[in-house]
Amino acid sequence: MTTTPYGHKVYAMAAEYPSAAALYEAAKRVRDAGFRRWDVFSPFPIHGMDEAMGLGKSWLSGWVLFGGISGFLTAVIVEFGPSSFLYPLVVHGKPTNFFTVPAFFPIMFELTILFSSFAAFFAWQGMNRLPRWNHPMFNWDRFSRVTNDGFFLAIEAHDPRFTENGVYELLEQTGGRHITVVHED
Amino acid sequence: MPEGEYFDSRRFTGLSTLLGVIAVVSLVLCLVGALVNPHQFSYSWLFAFVFFFTLCAGCFFWTIVHHATDADWSVVVRRQLENIAVLLGVLAILFIPILLLRDHLYSWMVIPPGRAPNLDLKRAYLNLHWFLIRAIIFFAFWIIASLLLRRYSSRQDKDGNPLFTIWMRRVSFISLPLFAMCLTFGAFDWMMSLNFRWFSTMFGVYIFAGTAGSSMALLVLVIAALQQAGYLKGIVTLEHYHIMGKWMLAFCIFWAYIGFGQYMLIWYANIPEETQFFLTRNTQSWWVLSMLLVIGRFFVPFAILLMRSIKKNPHQLSILAAWMIFMQMLDMYLIVLPALHGTGVHVSIWDLICLIAIGTTLGFVYLRVVAKTSLFPVRDPRLIESLTTVN
Repeated sequence: MTTTPYGHKVYAMAAEYPSAAALYEAAKRVRDAGFRRWDVFSPFPIHGMDEAMGLGKSWLSGWVLFGGISGFLTAVIVEFGPSSFLYPLVVHGKPTNFFTVPAFFPIMFELTILFSSFAAFFAWQGMNRLPRWNHPMFNWDRFSRVTNDGFFLAIEAHDPRFTENGVYELLEQTGGRHITVVHED
Repeated sequence: MPEGEYFDSRRFTGLSTLLGVIAVVSLVLCLVGALVNPHQFSYSWLFAFVFFFTLCAGCFFWTIVHHATDADWSVVVRRQLENIAVLLGVLAILFIPILLLRDHLYSWMVIPPGRAPNLDLKRAYLNLHWFLIRAIIFFAFWIIASLLLRRYSSRQDKDGNPLFTIWMRRVSFISLPLFAMCLTFGAFDWMMSLNFRWFSTMFGVYIFAGTAGSSMALLVLVIAALQQAGYLKGIVTLEHYHIMGKWMLAFCIFWAYIGFGQYMLIWYANIPEETQFFLTRNTQSWWVLSMLLVIGRFFVPFAILLMRSIKKNPHQLSILAAWMIFMQMLDMYLIVLPALHGTGVHVSIWDLICLIAIGTTLGFVYLRVVAKTSLFPVRDPRLIESLTTVN
């Protein structure tokens, strides 16, 4: 099943759950069923959901480390470059060699933090494929409750294990209500 | 006895006796040292005293922060913080040698008025009576507050009355500003005034940063040791170690931030009155120890503690915690001893004997204290939240 009767491409099959606890339990079942491309939606963060979904470690930290190291190296270059090599200038009787490093630490620190936070922000956006104008889930009118009291689970049609009947049964068994097909734009 | 998990002191009679014997022998040796070589001994004793003092005061700090912020994760480890904090009462007794040997330590006590102009300007603060009154205030506050917190906490074990939580919170709110004042001025009195010509407004915060970080490391060690002995199984989980490791990381960074802030301002302004402190410690053979402190107290643990796997591994975290406590010892050594040996490192046997004397005394008392109550606050209203903490 890749298209709806109206000719839209299918994005996912989704269901609504009555509570955060029900969604949490459902997520564990879906994880154990071996699905890879799926997501849950709730009005607030649910503690332990990452584990229930089997998400594993986020590698955002790798990008942050990269950002931090590049910020640090940038500071080293823009400080020691001019002050020690291009235009050495004695200030306050301080040396122009390596031992003037205490004066440079604040800049190194700030640029490390700045580049780390930039890396965290932009890598997070990229990993979540943000920014975007719209999301297929908004094509389902019940989904508007997600910012209020709705708990949703959607298994994408891209998933290799996705079959219309199989997913429908799984969602039904886990207590999902209003099970429906969500189409792409 | 109320329910809970109890430390069986009969299992550790051997350890307790050993600590007691070593404590008595080394305290007698200390008495000899005070008579034979009072000048060196007084500095060695002060070094050992401030080292253990910062560890115990830090545990008091974490207790009041726990109550003031209404934290839930730390409930299961809080009893050990309370147990270590009451050791401040023992330290009040161990402070007496410093008072007796004060003339060796604090030159401002013996210099008559009119000799040192910049001391005369500070006489309103640096005078013996005011020094004694302050010491009494500091210790009275620490003893009363730490005993109150422990008493309320152990009474709650019996009846589970949630009012005790409210009372402990009240004690903690009053204690927060008082703790800050007492620690800051205690640091000024006992450590900074070793050289009355030198001053740093950041000194109190610097001591606090080391205090909080190293006492969190001590907590990791104590909890890990109790678990090794078969206690707190399933009570303290890897999640708690993770949080304690994060606090170690936070205060490792905070210590470096404050320490560097203090250093850089003095280094940059380059005023002789201020630079003398670092000049002593950055030259001669002290330079090696100063560099070891900078690298060993910040760069190495910072890089290691960034890794999550270390924080979730009690064994590896304990090794790092022991290292951090060793670095705190080095930090205190570098504050106290250069005031005596300005020309270079001069290790004395009394440094070691004083450390052993105070350390074993406190360890002996701790083994008595820890057996008195349950190893965790068994009826704390937030216990379930602490047991199931996930972070």
